[in-house]
Amino acid sequence: MIAVLGLVVGIALGLFLHPVVPLWMQPYLPIAVVAALDAVFGAVRATLEGIFDDKVFVISFVSNVLVAALIVFLGDQLGVGSQLSTGVVVVLAMRIFSNAASIRRQLFGG
Amino acid sequence: MPTDAPPRSRVDGVPQLLAQIWDEALDPGYAAAAARKQREDPAARRRTRTLGAGLSLALVGILLAAAVVQANAARPAVAQRRVDLLARIQAQTQRYDTVTTAAAALQVEVDRLKSVALGATGQGKLLDGQLGTLELAAAQRPVTGPGLRITLDDAVAPGSGSQGDPSLGRVLDRDLQMVVNGLWAAGAEAVSVNDQRLTSLSAIRSAGDAILVDYRPLTRPYVVEAIGDPRTIEADFAAGAAGRGLRTLQQTYGVRYSVDAASALTLAAAATTGLRYARPVSRQQDPAQQEVTP
Repeated sequence: MIAVLGLVVGIALGLFLHPVVPLWMQPYLPIAVVAALDAVFGAVRATLEGIFDDKVFVISFVSNVLVAALIVFLGDQLGVGSQLSTGVVVVLAMRIFSNAASIRRQLFGG
Repeated sequence: MPTDAPPRSRVDGVPQLLAQIWDEALDPGYAAAAARKQREDPAARRRTRTLGAGLSLALVGILLAAAVVQANAARPAVAQRRVDLLARIQAQTQRYDTVTTAAAALQVEVDRLKSVALGATGQGKLLDGQLGTLELAAAQRPVTGPGLRITLDDAVAPGSGSQGDPSLGRVLDRDLQMVVNGLWAAGAEAVSVNDQRLTSLSAIRSAGDAILVDYRPLTRPYVVEAIGDPRTIEADFAAGAAGRGLRTLQQTYGVRYSVDAASALTLAAAATTGLRYARPVSRQQDPAQQEVTP
């Protein structure tokens, strides 16, 4: 309940406050969002499987975002930023799909 | 290779890696934490301490919204810049027009005063006449007379031609140059393009997709007007290289053009003033002799 509320409040804050994203951060924002989504899907699956742990969630969320941004940052410095971004997105998207499939099985028994 | 082998047992690496990503989609930390809790305190297994999760999800929401807002904000910014540039171009063009009009009005005033001053003496009258002839040739005076009007326009549907490239059906600066040169060659005494009088210093060139005459962009259709001998100019133009070139453009690329004889054309004076750096060789020195002995 608190989790859903937090998500709604966060989206509302982001939409209404229009946080100014610093220029140096802008290339990493989309990747960070995908990484965060991956953490959220993982958390939902864990909740449905009854093994949710908020400490694990917070750590996985923060580390996911930081590592994804770091990989893209390193890629940018090495001149392969777009390729590494693609790689990160592919891996994270696969995980999201896998978790979503698991959530679907839990919810609908399919 | 045995077909019943499970994909993850393959050793060529990549499928194994993908299978691993797929299987370990859930952070292994969850299972580890659950096992640890079960060991320590089986009763508190479903204990929900979700404040940290709530805060994290709020952060996720902010990230999500910020990213969406950012992605949407970047698009109008590009469009906005384009609109700003267009507005600036239009404003500067308008300014150019007003300044040119003012310059033309002042030129008329200068001409009038010059005539008055020169008309005072007999020699002055003679000079005034000479000046008039010279100014006609230098495109510094409006002129009127019979001549030719050539209208050029892009192909009807660019790209529908056999070539398929939309840029092929467009009138280029080269085409206009060819037409203007053809008119001069056919004996034109004064030429203007879209009411811009051409002088000996005029340039027809392109910048991007636009054709510029003396740095002023033209809009289609392109109307080239020339004053010349009405009996010969049309035939001479059609027989010359420019006339042939125009027919080729029409047949090959679908460029539209029409050539009409006009009994009375009026061409405005050119906006450019006289020469700024070139000086006539002084009368006392014989120019031919000067060339021989530097």
